[in-house]
Amino acid sequence: MLKLEGIHVYYQESLAVSDVSISVKEGEFVTIIGANGAGKTTIMKAIMGLIRVKKGKIHFEGDDLTNKPPWVRAEMGIGYIPEGRRVFPDLSVVENLKVGAYTIKNKQILNQNLEKVFFLFPRLKEREKQLARSMSGGEQQMLAIGRAMMLNPKLLLIDEISMGLMPILVNTAFASIKKMHEEGVTILLVEQNAKKALATADRGYVLETGRIVLEDRADILNQKDEIKKAYLGG
Amino acid sequence: MLLQQIINGIVVGSVYSLTAMGATLVYSILRILDIANAGAYALGAYVGLFSYVATDNLLLSFLIGMIAMGIWGIFVQKFLYLPLLGKSPLISLITSIGLFIFLGDFIRLWAGPQIKDFPADLKLPFSGIKTENLTIMSVWILVLLTTAILLLTLWYLITKTKIGLAWRATAQDLEIAKAMGINVNVVVAFNFFLGYSFAAAAGIMIGIMYNFISPTMGDVPAYKMLAIIVLGGLGNPVGAVVAAMLIGLIETLVGGYIGFFLPRDSIAFIAVIIILLIKPQGLFVRKNI
Ligand SMILES: Nc1ncnc2c1ncn2[C@@H]1O[C@H](COP(=O)(O)OP(=O)(O)OP(=O)(O)O)[C@@H](O)[C@H]1O
Ligand SMILES: [Mg+2]
Repeated sequence: MLKLEGIHVYYQESLAVSDVSISVKEGEFVTIIGANGAGKTTIMKAIMGLIRVKKGKIHFEGDDLTNKPPWVRAEMGIGYIPEGRRVFPDLSVVENLKVGAYTIKNKQILNQNLEKVFFLFPRLKEREKQLARSMSGGEQQMLAIGRAMMLNPKLLLIDEISMGLMPILVNTAFASIKKMHEEGVTILLVEQNAKKALATADRGYVLETGRIVLEDRADILNQKDEIKKAYLGG
Repeated sequence: MLLQQIINGIVVGSVYSLTAMGATLVYSILRILDIANAGAYALGAYVGLFSYVATDNLLLSFLIGMIAMGIWGIFVQKFLYLPLLGKSPLISLITSIGLFIFLGDFIRLWAGPQIKDFPADLKLPFSGIKTENLTIMSVWILVLLTTAILLLTLWYLITKTKIGLAWRATAQDLEIAKAMGINVNVVVAFNFFLGYSFAAAAGIMIGIMYNFISPTMGDVPAYKMLAIIVLGGLGNPVGAVVAAMLIGLIETLVGGYIGFFLPRDSIAFIAVIIILLIKPQGLFVRKNI
């Protein structure tokens, strides 16, 4: 479904992601783990089209994405939960959700998706009219997840779902993306919380300073000594 | 007397608010100061005047002037500001000052350096009001009505429509707006179209009110517009309208009661300096649309 073929991404002169190849099959749950600054966010932005790929190609369902603007990629069915939530601070909860469904023209589908999000996160329904900036971090994370669900994405890109959340909320967040996966959404998740990510995903890649150094089934990666040492706290 | 001054002030403030609205909208979405917006004010007045002379239809000449400047705004953002996006805002600022100076000279070359008269007889469908101690000229009513219609349209677009939602999202987080499926190129183009057409409307109204236009007519509004948008809390449309009304009122009240001990335009700037000394962040907080 998604294929990155040897992509290189630069910030000005400095190489942030080097020769990265990743593939995600339809229905899979794939994770990329890596330390701070490894290049995880950069890869997500490259897939979404928010940063230019200098070399290499990105394919989605057979189409070459390389020169397509981000909004076309969204319309093709790629959803995005960005790092640090990035909800629109001065839009209300329901407006944030509507922006998530911006490419959906059919009112009926839009309302169905809205119902679905409100069913999964009743807290968002209670706060429908509230401005996003006045919500707690955990509520904003729910909103970011809900906003991505509004698109009914085929592929969902998730950048650090656990960041800044207390453990119980991390579990809720993981439970909600697991649920989406069970409903048929293909997922690519990047995480520093390698333990959680590997426990949830089918397959994983390990990213070190902009390069993929390992790739395997998640349960196998979970058992590897070097992974345990570097990412799972011994 | 007081009522008369207040009405005068509101009329002047209306024109100021349209003048400042274009730059406010641009700032809200791209975070750059667009001085060249005042160029659309002068150029729009010329297009409006020539259209009026050609068609003898005021409504039509407003529309032609506004649409022509709106399209010009789309060009400006596409070929000037978008390529500079992501660079230092100083570069955009200097570019826009350059464009503004160019436009003044362009008008001089095209239409001549002399002042041009705006036809005095406009055949408005309504007449003014004149009582013993109150005069409301018919062009003032025209100014108030036009301003009210344009500002209400803008408010409706921003708060009630789908493009308005896209607009607010883009102003708040351009990158994420893109990723959510919003074609931000269209949003930014639309923003400039409206901003520049508002400036054109303001220019035409000033031409009508004072019965003349000139190549340098945008100079003072360029600076005054800056003062207003800073006072109104950079990129805050409601703040800009209130600040514009305030400046309009201060100008006329000081002029009316204390007299013009200084040139009229300097009063606005003195007021801004005083207000900013007391409240350095402007009258309003910076707020997203
Ligand atoms: N806007 C930028 N300009 C310059 N360098 C950048 C920029 N953004 C990221 N980088 C650099 O690119 C590299 C990869 O950054 P990236 O944000 O992709 O890492 P990450 O794996 O997401 O890290 P984290 O776990 O902290 O989120 C880092 O060395 C970072 O310093
Ligand atoms: Mg990151």
